[in-house]
Amino acid sequence: SFLQGSKLEIPLWLAKGLHDSKRRIISVELPKIYREAWRTVFSADANVVDLHKMGPYYYGFGSQLLNFENPENPEIAQTILQASLSWGWLCVTCLCSLQTFVARFRRIMDSSQNAYNEDTSALVARLDELERALFQVGQKGLNDFQCWEKGQASQITASSLVQNYGKRKLAEVDG
Amino acid sequence: MEPAEVEFLAEKELVTIVPNFSLDRIHLIGGDLGPFNPGLPVEVPVWLAINLKQRQKCRLIPPEWMDVGKLEEIRDQERKEDTFTPMPSPYYMELTKLLLNYASDNIPRADEIRTLVKDTWDTRMAKLRLSADSFVRQQEAHAKLDNLTLMEINTAGTFLTQALDHMYKLRTNLQPGDSSQSQDF
Repeated sequence: SFLQGSKLEIPLWLAKGLHDSKRRIISVELPKIYREAWRTVFSADANVVDLHKMGPYYYGFGSQLLNFENPENPEIAQTILQASLSWGWLCVTCLCSLQTFVARFRRIMDSSQNAYNEDTSALVARLDELERALFQVGQKGLNDFQCWEKGQASQITASSLVQNYGKRKLAEVDG
Repeated sequence: MEPAEVEFLAEKELVTIVPNFSLDRIHLIGGDLGPFNPGLPVEVPVWLAINLKQRQKCRLIPPEWMDVGKLEEIRDQERKEDTFTPMPSPYYMELTKLLLNYASDNIPRADEIRTLVKDTWDTRMAKLRLSADSFVRQQEAHAKLDNLTLMEINTAGTFLTQALDHMYKLRTNLQPGDSSQSQDF
Protein backbone atom coordinates (compact mmCIF):
# COMPACT_ATOMS: atom_id res chain seq x y z
CA SER A 1 0.00 0.00 0.00
CA PHE A 2 1.14 3.53 -0.64
CA LEU A 3 1.17 6.49 1.71
CA GLN A 4 -0.43 9.70 0.57
CA GLY A 5 2.18 12.19 -0.45
CA SER A 6 4.87 9.61 -1.17
CA LYS A 7 6.89 9.80 -4.35
CA LEU A 8 7.15 6.82 -6.72
CA GLU A 9 8.38 6.00 -10.15
CA ILE A 10 5.81 4.24 -12.25
CA PRO A 11 5.55 3.57 -15.97
CA LEU A 12 3.79 6.16 -18.10
CA TRP A 13 0.99 3.77 -19.09
CA LEU A 14 0.13 3.23 -15.43
CA ALA A 15 0.23 6.93 -14.67
CA LYS A 16 -2.12 7.58 -17.56
CA GLY A 17 -4.50 4.94 -16.23
CA LEU A 18 -4.46 6.37 -12.70
CA HIS A 19 -4.82 9.94 -13.85
CA ASP A 20 -8.27 11.37 -13.29
CA SER A 21 -8.86 15.10 -13.36
CA LYS A 22 -11.77 14.81 -10.93
CA ARG A 23 -10.38 12.51 -8.24
CA ARG A 24 -6.73 13.53 -8.31
CA ILE A 25 -5.23 10.25 -7.19
CA ILE A 26 -1.82 11.21 -8.47
CA SER A 27 0.13 14.23 -9.56
CA VAL A 28 2.95 13.95 -12.00
CA GLU A 29 6.36 15.54 -11.69
CA LEU A 30 8.04 16.71 -14.86
CA PRO A 31 11.27 14.93 -15.84
CA LYS A 32 14.09 17.42 -15.79
CA ILE A 33 14.74 17.47 -19.50
CA TYR A 34 11.37 19.15 -20.03
CA ARG A 35 12.03 21.88 -17.50
CA GLU A 36 13.26 25.37 -17.91
CA ALA A 37 16.96 24.79 -17.35
CA TRP A 38 17.19 22.47 -20.32
CA ARG A 39 15.23 24.82 -22.50
CA THR A 40 18.15 27.24 -22.68
CA VAL A 41 20.43 24.44 -23.81
CA PHE A 42 18.06 23.50 -26.59
CA SER A 43 17.65 27.00 -27.85
CA ALA A 44 21.43 27.57 -27.84
CA ASP A 45 22.22 24.61 -30.08
CA ALA A 46 19.79 21.74 -30.34
CA ASN A 47 22.30 19.67 -32.27
CA VAL A 48 24.65 19.04 -29.34
CA VAL A 49 22.10 17.43 -27.05
CA ASP A 50 22.30 13.68 -26.69
CA LEU A 51 18.60 12.95 -26.95
CA HIS A 52 19.16 9.23 -26.71
CA LYS A 53 20.77 9.46 -23.30
CA MET A 54 18.14 11.86 -22.01
CA GLY A 55 15.41 9.30 -22.44
CA PRO A 56 15.24 7.77 -25.86
CA TYR A 57 11.67 8.84 -26.58
CA TYR A 58 12.06 12.59 -26.09
CA TYR A 59 9.41 13.66 -28.59
CA GLY A 60 6.88 10.90 -27.94
CA PHE A 61 7.17 11.02 -24.17
CA GLY A 62 6.96 14.80 -24.10
CA SER A 63 3.79 14.70 -26.18
CA GLN A 64 2.26 12.17 -23.80
CA LEU A 65 3.08 14.26 -20.75
CA LEU A 66 0.86 17.01 -22.06
CA ASN A 67 -2.10 14.82 -21.16
CA PHE A 68 -1.54 15.36 -17.45
CA GLU A 69 -3.05 18.60 -16.30
CA ASN A 70 -1.75 20.99 -13.75
CA PRO A 71 -2.23 19.83 -10.18
CA GLU A 72 -4.40 22.25 -8.27
CA ASN A 73 -4.29 21.23 -4.64
CA PRO A 74 -4.55 24.56 -2.77
CA GLU A 75 -3.04 23.14 0.46
CA ILE A 76 0.51 22.96 -0.89
CA ALA A 77 0.60 26.32 -2.57
CA GLN A 78 4.35 26.76 -2.67
CA THR A 79 4.94 23.41 -4.33
CA ILE A 80 2.04 24.09 -6.64
CA LEU A 81 3.43 27.36 -7.82
CA GLN A 82 6.66 25.65 -8.71
CA ALA A 83 4.75 22.80 -10.34
CA SER A 84 2.56 25.20 -12.33
CA LEU A 85 5.61 26.96 -13.59
CA SER A 86 7.08 23.63 -14.58
CA TRP A 87 3.95 22.64 -16.47
CA GLY A 88 3.87 25.99 -18.13
CA TRP A 89 7.39 25.35 -19.25
CA LEU A 90 6.38 21.93 -20.55
CA CYS A 91 4.07 23.65 -22.99
CA VAL A 92 6.84 25.96 -23.99
CA THR A 93 9.21 23.02 -24.18
CA CYS A 94 6.85 21.14 -26.45
CA LEU A 95 6.88 24.13 -28.71
CA CYS A 96 10.63 23.91 -28.34
CA SER A 97 10.57 20.23 -29.15
CA LEU A 98 9.15 21.21 -32.52
CA GLN A 99 11.95 23.73 -32.86
CA THR A 100 14.46 21.17 -31.63
CA PHE A 101 13.26 18.77 -34.28
CA VAL A 102 13.50 21.47 -36.93
CA ALA A 103 17.01 22.41 -35.84
CA ARG A 104 18.25 18.81 -35.88
CA PHE A 105 16.45 17.91 -39.10
CA ARG A 106 19.24 19.01 -41.45
CA ARG A 107 21.93 16.85 -39.87
CA ILE A 108 19.71 13.80 -39.80
CA MET A 109 18.74 14.28 -43.44
CA ASP A 110 22.26 14.94 -44.69
CA SER A 111 23.87 12.06 -42.86
CA SER A 112 21.15 9.57 -43.72
CA GLN A 113 21.56 10.51 -47.37
CA ASN A 114 25.31 10.22 -46.93
CA ALA A 115 25.85 13.74 -48.15
CA TYR A 116 29.16 14.14 -46.33
CA ASN A 117 30.39 10.54 -46.49
CA GLU A 118 31.27 10.77 -42.82
CA ASP A 119 30.93 8.17 -40.14
CA THR A 120 27.36 8.54 -38.94
CA SER A 121 27.46 6.32 -35.85
CA ALA A 122 28.39 9.19 -33.54
CA LEU A 123 25.42 11.22 -34.69
CA VAL A 124 22.96 8.32 -34.52
CA ALA A 125 23.98 7.59 -30.91
CA ARG A 126 22.62 11.00 -29.91
CA LEU A 127 19.27 10.68 -31.67
CA ASP A 128 16.06 9.77 -29.90
CA GLU A 129 13.95 6.89 -31.20
CA LEU A 130 11.75 9.02 -33.44
CA GLU A 131 14.79 10.60 -35.06
CA ARG A 132 16.46 7.20 -35.46
CA ALA A 133 13.44 5.80 -37.29
CA LEU A 134 13.56 8.82 -39.58
CA PHE A 135 17.28 8.33 -40.13
CA GLN A 136 16.68 4.74 -41.16
CA VAL A 137 14.01 5.80 -43.63
CA GLY A 138 16.47 8.21 -45.22
CA GLN A 139 19.16 5.55 -45.36
CA LYS A 140 16.83 3.05 -46.94
CA GLY A 141 15.93 5.53 -49.67
CA LEU A 142 19.59 6.03 -50.40
CA ASN A 143 20.54 2.34 -50.16
CA ASP A 144 17.71 1.29 -52.46
CA PHE A 145 18.85 3.85 -55.00
CA GLN A 146 22.51 2.82 -54.83
CA CYS A 147 21.56 -0.84 -55.03
CA TRP A 148 19.53 -0.11 -58.15
CA GLU A 149 22.32 1.96 -59.66
CA LYS A 150 24.72 -0.97 -59.32
CA GLY A 151 22.21 -3.23 -60.99
CA GLN A 152 21.61 -5.31 -57.85
CA ALA A 153 17.91 -4.51 -57.79
CA SER A 154 17.19 -7.19 -60.34
CA GLN A 155 19.30 -9.90 -58.71
CA ILE A 156 17.51 -12.57 -56.78
CA THR A 157 18.99 -13.00 -53.32
CA ALA A 158 17.97 -15.18 -50.41
CA SER A 159 15.83 -13.32 -47.92
CA SER A 160 17.69 -12.38 -44.76
CA LEU A 161 14.92 -14.12 -42.79
CA VAL A 162 15.60 -17.44 -44.43
CA GLN A 163 19.37 -17.26 -44.24
CA ASN A 164 19.25 -17.66 -40.48
CA TYR A 165 17.16 -20.80 -40.49
CA GLY A 166 20.21 -23.03 -40.78
CA LYS A 167 18.44 -25.74 -42.71
CA ARG A 168 20.22 -29.04 -42.82
CA LYS A 169 21.61 -29.90 -46.18
CA LEU A 170 20.08 -32.80 -48.08
CA ALA A 171 23.23 -34.97 -47.81
CA GLU A 172 23.14 -34.81 -44.01
CA VAL A 173 19.49 -35.88 -43.87
CA ASP A 174 20.07 -38.94 -46.10
CA GLY A 175 23.26 -40.02 -44.29
CA MET B 1 8.07 3.18 -55.05
CA GLU B 2 11.10 1.06 -55.60
CA PRO B 3 13.78 2.43 -57.96
CA ALA B 4 13.10 -0.63 -60.09
CA GLU B 5 9.51 0.50 -60.51
CA VAL B 6 10.61 3.95 -61.60
CA GLU B 7 12.94 2.27 -64.06
CA PHE B 8 10.02 0.23 -65.35
CA LEU B 9 8.17 3.44 -66.15
CA ALA B 10 11.28 4.89 -67.74
CA GLU B 11 11.49 1.93 -70.11
CA LYS B 12 8.46 3.22 -71.98
CA GLU B 13 10.46 6.15 -73.30
CA LEU B 14 11.31 5.97 -76.98
CA VAL B 15 14.82 5.55 -78.31
CA THR B 16 16.17 5.11 -81.86
CA ILE B 17 17.67 1.82 -82.94
CA VAL B 18 19.07 0.46 -86.18
CA PRO B 19 17.90 -3.14 -86.56
CA ASN B 20 19.70 -5.84 -88.52
CA PHE B 21 16.58 -7.86 -89.21
CA SER B 22 13.28 -7.53 -91.00
CA LEU B 23 9.88 -7.59 -89.44
CA ASP B 24 6.50 -6.21 -90.39
CA ARG B 25 4.63 -3.86 -88.11
CA ILE B 26 3.80 -5.50 -84.79
CA HIS B 27 0.63 -4.64 -82.95
CA LEU B 28 1.03 -4.49 -79.21
CA ILE B 29 -1.45 -3.41 -76.57
CA GLY B 30 0.39 -0.13 -76.08
CA GLY B 31 0.47 0.65 -79.78
CA ASP B 32 2.11 -0.36 -83.03
CA LEU B 33 5.84 -0.77 -83.57
CA GLY B 34 7.93 -1.05 -86.69
CA PRO B 35 8.16 -2.09 -89.46
CA PHE B 36 11.79 -3.11 -89.02
CA ASN B 37 14.17 -3.07 -91.96
CA PRO B 38 17.91 -3.73 -91.73
CA GLY B 39 19.90 -0.53 -91.62
CA LEU B 40 16.91 1.79 -91.28
CA PRO B 41 16.54 3.70 -87.97
CA VAL B 42 13.29 3.17 -86.12
CA GLU B 43 11.94 4.37 -82.79
CA VAL B 44 11.05 1.80 -80.18
CA PRO B 45 10.50 1.83 -76.40
CA VAL B 46 13.65 1.31 -74.33
CA TRP B 47 12.50 -2.06 -73.01
CA LEU B 48 12.39 -3.43 -76.53
CA ALA B 49 15.62 -1.72 -77.55
CA ILE B 50 17.47 -3.33 -74.64
CA ASN B 51 16.00 -6.71 -75.40
CA LEU B 52 16.97 -6.52 -79.09
CA LYS B 53 20.43 -5.26 -78.23
CA GLN B 54 20.99 -8.16 -75.83
CA ARG B 55 20.03 -10.53 -78.63
CA GLN B 56 22.41 -8.67 -80.93
CA LYS B 57 19.64 -7.70 -83.28
CA CYS B 58 20.24 -3.96 -83.33
CA ARG B 59 22.51 -1.05 -82.68
CA LEU B 60 21.40 1.71 -80.32
CA ILE B 61 21.60 5.39 -81.19
CA PRO B 62 22.09 7.53 -78.06
CA PRO B 63 19.54 10.33 -77.52
CA GLU B 64 20.82 13.71 -78.67
CA TRP B 65 21.22 14.92 -75.07
CA MET B 66 23.50 11.99 -74.19
CA ASP B 67 26.55 13.88 -75.42
CA VAL B 68 29.51 15.19 -73.43
CA GLY B 69 29.16 18.82 -74.56
CA LYS B 70 25.45 19.00 -73.91
CA LEU B 71 25.74 17.30 -70.51
CA GLU B 72 28.53 19.65 -69.46
CA GLU B 73 26.26 22.58 -70.27
CA ILE B 74 23.47 21.03 -68.23
CA ARG B 75 25.74 20.30 -65.31
CA ASP B 76 27.11 23.86 -65.29
CA GLN B 77 23.63 25.30 -65.56
CA GLU B 78 22.50 23.17 -62.61
CA ARG B 79 25.42 24.35 -60.50
CA LYS B 80 24.77 27.97 -61.31
CA GLU B 81 21.04 28.18 -60.68
CA ASP B 82 19.27 27.98 -57.31
CA THR B 83 16.23 26.39 -58.86
CA PHE B 84 16.08 23.09 -60.69
CA THR B 85 16.84 23.25 -64.39
CA PRO B 86 14.56 21.30 -66.70
CA MET B 87 16.19 18.00 -67.56
CA PRO B 88 16.38 16.79 -71.17
CA SER B 89 14.39 13.75 -70.16
CA PRO B 90 12.16 13.13 -67.16
CA TYR B 91 14.01 9.83 -66.85
CA TYR B 92 17.56 11.01 -67.47
CA MET B 93 19.04 8.95 -64.64
CA GLU B 94 17.31 5.72 -65.59
CA LEU B 95 18.03 6.04 -69.30
CA THR B 96 21.67 6.77 -68.61
CA LYS B 97 22.00 3.71 -66.43
CA LEU B 98 20.17 1.43 -68.87
CA LEU B 99 21.86 2.57 -72.05
CA LEU B 100 25.33 2.69 -70.56
CA ASN B 101 24.93 -0.75 -69.01
CA TYR B 102 23.62 -2.52 -72.10
CA ALA B 103 24.86 -0.45 -75.01
CA SER B 104 28.01 1.38 -73.95
CA ASP B 105 29.69 0.25 -77.15
CA ASN B 106 27.19 2.37 -79.09
CA ILE B 107 27.77 5.47 -76.98
CA PRO B 108 30.90 7.57 -77.47
CA ARG B 109 32.78 8.64 -74.31
CA ALA B 110 30.48 6.56 -72.11
CA ASP B 111 32.53 6.95 -68.92
CA GLU B 112 32.57 10.72 -69.15
CA ILE B 113 28.84 10.72 -69.72
CA ARG B 114 28.31 8.55 -66.66
CA THR B 115 30.36 10.95 -64.52
CA LEU B 116 28.62 14.04 -65.86
CA VAL B 117 25.16 12.63 -65.22
CA LYS B 118 26.16 11.55 -61.71
CA ASP B 119 27.54 15.04 -60.99
CA THR B 120 24.32 16.62 -62.15
CA TRP B 121 22.32 14.20 -60.00
CA ASP B 122 24.44 14.99 -56.93
CA THR B 123 23.99 18.72 -57.45
CA ARG B 124 20.23 18.34 -57.78
CA MET B 125 19.93 16.13 -54.70
CA ALA B 126 21.94 18.64 -52.68
CA LYS B 127 19.57 21.37 -53.86
CA LEU B 128 16.63 19.23 -52.86
CA ARG B 129 18.00 18.81 -49.35
CA LEU B 130 18.68 22.53 -49.07
CA SER B 131 15.14 23.22 -50.20
CA ALA B 132 13.73 20.70 -47.73
CA ASP B 133 15.72 22.20 -44.88
CA SER B 134 14.55 25.75 -45.50
CA PHE B 135 10.99 24.48 -45.94
CA VAL B 136 11.18 22.76 -42.54
CA ARG B 137 12.89 25.66 -40.82
CA GLN B 138 10.35 28.17 -41.93
CA GLN B 139 7.57 25.67 -41.30
CA GLU B 140 5.91 26.53 -44.55
CA ALA B 141 2.60 24.99 -45.39
CA HIS B 142 3.18 24.63 -49.07
CA ALA B 143 6.09 24.41 -51.47
CA LYS B 144 6.42 24.02 -55.21
CA LEU B 145 9.46 22.50 -56.84
CA ASP B 146 9.56 22.47 -60.61
CA ASN B 147 11.50 20.18 -62.87
CA LEU B 148 12.17 17.36 -60.44
CA THR B 149 12.26 13.88 -61.88
CA LEU B 150 10.46 10.89 -60.42
CA MET B 151 13.64 9.11 -59.36
CA GLU B 152 14.78 12.16 -57.38
CA ILE B 153 11.42 12.53 -55.68
CA ASN B 154 11.33 8.81 -54.93
CA THR B 155 14.78 8.75 -53.32
CA ALA B 156 14.19 11.65 -50.94
CA GLY B 157 10.41 11.60 -50.70
CA THR B 158 9.72 9.05 -47.97
CA PHE B 159 12.10 10.77 -45.57
CA LEU B 160 10.60 14.17 -46.19
CA THR B 161 6.98 13.10 -45.83
CA GLN B 162 7.69 11.22 -42.59
CA ALA B 163 9.54 14.20 -41.15
CA LEU B 164 6.64 16.47 -42.02
CA ASP B 165 4.23 13.99 -40.40
CA HIS B 166 6.22 14.18 -37.16
CA MET B 167 6.26 17.96 -37.31
CA TYR B 168 2.53 18.00 -37.79
CA LYS B 169 2.01 15.79 -34.74
CA LEU B 170 4.33 17.90 -32.61
CA ARG B 171 2.52 21.03 -33.71
CA THR B 172 -0.98 19.72 -33.08
CA ASN B 173 0.02 18.53 -29.59
CA LEU B 174 -0.07 22.13 -28.47
CA GLN B 175 -3.62 22.77 -29.57
CA PRO B 176 -6.33 22.70 -26.91
CA GLY B 177 -8.66 19.73 -26.73
CA ASP B 178 -6.12 17.09 -27.59
CA SER B 179 -7.78 14.71 -25.14
CA SER B 180 -7.99 12.23 -27.99
CA GLN B 181 -4.77 10.71 -26.63
CA SER B 182 -6.07 9.86 -23.15
CA GLN B 183 -8.24 6.93 -22.31
CA ASP B 184 -11.09 6.89 -19.81
CA PHE B 185 -11.43 3.96 -17.43
